Amino acid sequence: MEEVKRTSQHYEMELQSIKQSLLYLGALTEHAIENVLISLLERKSDLARTVIDGDAEIDKLDTEIEDRCIRLLALRQPIARDLRFITTGIKINGHLERIGDMAVNIAEKVIALNEEPQLKPYIDLPRMADIAREMIRGSIDALVREDCQLANRIRRMDTAIDTLNEQIFRELLTFMLEDGRTIHRALLIMQVSKNLERIADHAKGIADMVVYMVTGINVRHQWPGDTPDEICDTQRAEE
Amino acid sequence: MHGKLFFKIFGTYLVIAVMAIGIIGLLAGNQIREKLERQIEAELFAYARIVDLYSLKEIEQRADQIAKITRARVTVIDRDGKVIAETDQEALSLGSHFDRPEIQEARVRGRGTATRYSQTVGEEMKYVALPIRKGDQIIGYIRLARPLVEVRKSIEEFTAILLRSFLVILISSVLMAFFFSRRITGPIRAMEQFTKRLRRGEAPGTLLIRSSDEIGVLAENINYIVEELSHRIGDLQEEKAKVEAAFSSATDGIILLGVDGKIEIVNQGMRNMIGERFGNILDKTPLEAFRNLELQKALDQYRTTGQPVFHEITFGEEPQTVFDVAVTPVRGVEGSEGKTMLVLHDVTRLKKLERVRVDFVANVTHEIKTPLTAILGFVETLQEGAIEDKATARRFLTPITRHAERLNRLVEDLLTISNIELGEMRFYFESVALSGAVEGAMNIIQLKAREKNIRLSQQVPEELPRIRADRDRLSQILLNVLDNAVKFTPESGSVTLTAEPAGDEVVVRIADTGIGVPRDEISRLGERFYRVDKTRSRELGGTGLGLSIVKHLMLAHRGRIEIESQLGRGTTVSLFFPVSTEPVS
Repeated sequence: MEEVKRTSQHYEMELQSIKQSLLYLGALTEHAIENVLISLLERKSDLARTVIDGDAEIDKLDTEIEDRCIRLLALRQPIARDLRFITTGIKINGHLERIGDMAVNIAEKVIALNEEPQLKPYIDLPRMADIAREMIRGSIDALVREDCQLANRIRRMDTAIDTLNEQIFRELLTFMLEDGRTIHRALLIMQVSKNLERIADHAKGIADMVVYMVTGINVRHQWPGDTPDEICDTQRAEE
Repeated sequence: MHGKLFFKIFGTYLVIAVMAIGIIGLLAGNQIREKLERQIEAELFAYARIVDLYSLKEIEQRADQIAKITRARVTVIDRDGKVIAETDQEALSLGSHFDRPEIQEARVRGRGTATRYSQTVGEEMKYVALPIRKGDQIIGYIRLARPLVEVRKSIEEFTAILLRSFLVILISSVLMAFFFSRRITGPIRAMEQFTKRLRRGEAPGTLLIRSSDEIGVLAENINYIVEELSHRIGDLQEEKAKVEAAFSSATDGIILLGVDGKIEIVNQGMRNMIGERFGNILDKTPLEAFRNLELQKALDQYRTTGQPVFHEITFGEEPQTVFDVAVTPVRGVEGSEGKTMLVLHDVTRLKKLERVRVDFVANVTHEIKTPLTAILGFVETLQEGAIEDKATARRFLTPITRHAERLNRLVEDLLTISNIELGEMRFYFESVALSGAVEGAMNIIQLKAREKNIRLSQQVPEELPRIRADRDRLSQILLNVLDNAVKFTPESGSVTLTAEPAGDEVVVRIADTGIGVPRDEISRLGERFYRVDKTRSRELGGTGLGLSIVKHLMLAHRGRIEIESQLGRGTTVSLFFPVSTEPVS
């Protein structure tokens, strides 16, 4: 009996530690986006380089979390809620790692942009980056607190990002049409914007997984506007 | 309910009473019966012996008489058992009596007794028989019999007495049981109520039981324990209040992490520092609550090394807060092993000061280096032969002088500031009329203003109260601010000085129609060497110390400076001087 108790305690700790690591990974990616934004706005290529270097830590943590999840699956054979948490954890881990990669993509573009004079003052890009960061933060919060309402709110934020992305696209198009010399920079900015949009998509993916984890309902391919908040009231039958 | 105890006591009494009465009844009843029977027997024998003295014939004749005297039934039987005389008429018809045990016993042993139930009388009978002799020959038997009605009646009477006394005992034992159970349960119920109050955490007061038995002692003990306990609780609460006061009034942030790494306690200082920014942070890990990588790194380092960690971390974005965080184990407190304490000290202001100092050194060097480089450049050119060319040499002297003058101004300004800061500058505060000082400053600045075609105007009411100021420093303040105003106002603009009383202060407003200052840079004006537009200001011959000096001087005057500005529209500098309390001499 004592033995069983101890192992279950150990198991509980292991679950908690995976949660904490996901939080840490989330914070790392969030920080990467913050830094890459600063490097863009303040034209600090050095900071962009630290983002690129920092991706190694994200990658390392990614494989580590995945290993731990798989070990827990193999050794403890968790069921119900825990099983859903671990499988969701693996997917969320993947999302976060991709977000890290995209931060690196942006950092590379930023370094290239900093080589040339600034095309225009950045207004929409910081807003996009802020929303993306908030989405990552919120979706990880929702995961840790198992807060379905929050997750659903995060999912809806994705539309704002899409609108901003389109807006930036149209604006840059006029720049390029007017002056051929701006094309290189405009394309770089467009890629930054695109990557931010992709980051937001991944954050929405995390929120989707949280909704699934809490309610057991798959909302991955549903337009966020179509998902009512009442969905969160449906609890899994096994609980 | 005291019923249970009542029944226990009552039951005990009842059992004792039943047992006592039962045993007494049994023993005494037997005793009484035996004694009475023996008495009857002896009496009958006595009569029988007397009767035996008569002859058979006489006995037969006088049987009825005998029966009357002896109050017994008399039977005379001949040698063969045939009944010769019988006082009981009903029994007369009976056959031989020879086989009766009393007759047999009398024949063999000379006397015989028997007790048996008589069908004819319907009662227990005592029989006594003696042989009637003639010489050695037994010629018959005389038998006396008496019913044992008396004995039965005596026993019944006795039993009735017993039952009556049992009834008395029963009633009295009910009363006594009730009384005793009340006596015992009363205090116990009082104690029960008392302890219940104690358990609910109410102030129970003192348990009042006047009794010298065990219950009284128990009550006394309980009172003692309660008193002792309330003392200890009081002490503990006092201690707790002290610790809490220290804990919550500390301006540093204190966070206590439980064994599971989750935030257990946050003090008021911490709450004040972070405000509502992070919502509810209790029962979360620091990572969950703050999402701060630097803090997490400090914690990780503490966890891997087990050594206290001191780290500088940055919180939030705008405005950023910089903390010195100390991660230490909680020691010396029972039940707190494995807990972690975070102490966060806000060093934002220190950090800012540090930056200002670093900036200052860099600025000073830069400011000194620029004119020096220029001077050195001209001097080198002169050394390389330009000095031979009189015209060029003379032309070079002007910029050399200008740069040297600028260096001189810079050093003077720096000296002024450091003197004020070190408190070495002497101030002679007196009651000063503002109009005079304004007049002087305006006259000096008039020249400069005319060059740029700037309209200078002033509005200082006559009845303005005198202010407390150092005459020289006051004109320095006014000159510096007016100089700035003229400097940053484009050609054909205007600079207006107005003064008016404001409570126990006099406010001097110097408004220009100059280039203005961006809103978010206003707060930085007055920092040494801070310039909104660096190149332009230097062109205009400023050292970057003017406003800084004004700010310092105003502070020394116990006044203050306020700056409002609209970009492109102009700036208004308001100087607040304290009104002089000295009487006008």
